[in-house]
Amino acid sequence: MQDNEEILRVEGLCTQFRTEQGLVKAVDGISFELRRGQTLGIVGESGSGKSVANLSMLRLIQTPPGRVTAGKVLFDGKDLLTLSEEEVRAYRGRNIAMIFQDPLTSLNPVLPIWLQIAEAIELHHKLKRPAAKVKAVEMLKAIGIPDPERRAYDYPHQFSGGMRQRVMIAMALSCDPDILIADEPTTALDVTIQAQILDLIRGLSRERRTAVIMITHDLGVVAGMCDEVCVLYAGRIVERAPVDELFYEPRHPYTRGLLDSIPRLDRSSAERLYSIPGSPPDLVDLPDCCPFHPRCSHAMEICRHTYPPETAEAGRGNRTVSCWLHVKERA
Amino acid sequence: MNASRFTKNPIAMTGLAIVLFYVAIILVSLVWLPFDPVAMDMDLLLDPPSFKTGHLFGTDEFGRDILSRIMSGCAVSLIISLGATALGAVAGTLLGIWAGFLGGRWDHWLMRVADVLFSFPSLLLAIFVMAILGERTYNVVIAIGIVYIPQFARISRGAILSLKNQEFVRAAFSNGAGKSYVLFRHLLPNILVPLIVQVSLSLSVAILLESALSFLGLGIQPPAPSWGNMLSAARKLMMIAPWTAVYPGLAIVFLVLGFNLLGDGLRDVLDPRLRNAR
Repeated sequence: MQDNEEILRVEGLCTQFRTEQGLVKAVDGISFELRRGQTLGIVGESGSGKSVANLSMLRLIQTPPGRVTAGKVLFDGKDLLTLSEEEVRAYRGRNIAMIFQDPLTSLNPVLPIWLQIAEAIELHHKLKRPAAKVKAVEMLKAIGIPDPERRAYDYPHQFSGGMRQRVMIAMALSCDPDILIADEPTTALDVTIQAQILDLIRGLSRERRTAVIMITHDLGVVAGMCDEVCVLYAGRIVERAPVDELFYEPRHPYTRGLLDSIPRLDRSSAERLYSIPGSPPDLVDLPDCCPFHPRCSHAMEICRHTYPPETAEAGRGNRTVSCWLHVKERA
Repeated sequence: MNASRFTKNPIAMTGLAIVLFYVAIILVSLVWLPFDPVAMDMDLLLDPPSFKTGHLFGTDEFGRDILSRIMSGCAVSLIISLGATALGAVAGTLLGIWAGFLGGRWDHWLMRVADVLFSFPSLLLAIFVMAILGERTYNVVIAIGIVYIPQFARISRGAILSLKNQEFVRAAFSNGAGKSYVLFRHLLPNILVPLIVQVSLSLSVAILLESALSFLGLGIQPPAPSWGNMLSAARKLMMIAPWTAVYPGLAIVFLVLGFNLLGDGLRDVLDPRLRNAR
């Protein structure tokens, strides 16, 4: 298996929700690719379509009201969006696993921990109960739970928040997936635990050569974890860059705004914290404009009626930005 | 694991002991009874309980031994109570959880049917079913079971509805689980508590429903004894011969108590969240 082998390619993924107010384009043409061992960050505000995009990839969007309307999700040479429900199920948990945001509600309160960790193993490898139990205890040990033989029989309410998130990670990694999707894995935890959880994800994914898609709104997490970042705004990727380039040289006005609104210790507290003016757009029947233009200080006439094309930027990795400011020859 | 937790639970064990006591009575009644439960004794009508005559619980208006009638009626009452509850609980829960889980048109029509069944008082519905099926012991089971189906469907559907959008359900799907796996592995254990409460209630109500049916001539037909028809016969004699009502009544009360304790104990054993609270 080659190191830089591409294992996932998403092309033009669109997910729409039918609501009473109208059609919501939660995800509107997202494309990216992921290589083995890579950690890709997806950042954006609440409602920018981060989670929906990832649920769509595994076809976990509830239909109705949601529907994946276009795009391809190529894994292992197959388009996950065209497979039958049964075929996709075989990939979930075994090849692509997810960690959810809230470890409190993501574990079943009435089942012992080991049974939940062993679930994916049981579903995909058809292991018998005792063998699955051994594997679950092994996973508990790997995530650093003390006294795993005894703790395996405990129930979620007997674990602390941080430990529960560790259990979630053990569940997701139990089948050695190729890709781990972590949907805001640290949002519900306090800061000291956050670092531990991120270390754990980083360590285990490196050890197992698992590619990670890290969904977050925390740029600090991105800086510490990711190789590449996609910035999402209103369901589209507005900028994509290797992580250090994004931080040193943000191109899109939105990315710049995000970076400026991080509180910093080296600034006086009397100074007001910067925030991007306005609020995210209503995604119902969004016209074909740059969705950021009402909040953008560089907005031009063209931003109001045409969405900017994706422009490749010079840089080390593949770097793209969707902004009229960076379109060299304007049509 | 769970078995030892069950035996250490005093409430559950008391309940189990009571239920087993009744089972023992049934076994004894199959081989030995103090008197023939249907033999009448015209010299000892409404005889109060006494050791001298050997009628420990007294006799009824036909001079039949009440203890023997309670003992031989035990099997019938227990079978009706367990059978009807099992039928209603299994069928109702299955319908309810699928309806709640799948939602949509399925759910809509199933619940409308349940609403229609619900709109009849349970006794009326049972009479209706009995009238269609005819007077047989196992038809009593079916009739009461049908009365229970919408009740269990309602409870389980409601419980599933409040659970099915929980994150752990989504997590299970993302692990590659199918619908029935999620439903039976993840959701069913979560709704056991309300179901067990309903089961222990239903077990007792079944005995009372059977007695109401017997009173109307649709349940267990005299002279065959059931606790229900003994009680309804005793109603008019309560003032002059209280023992005719008290002993069958006590038999019912104890069995119901046993079921309820068993249900309570089971609930504590099965729900890990309650385990440490006690």
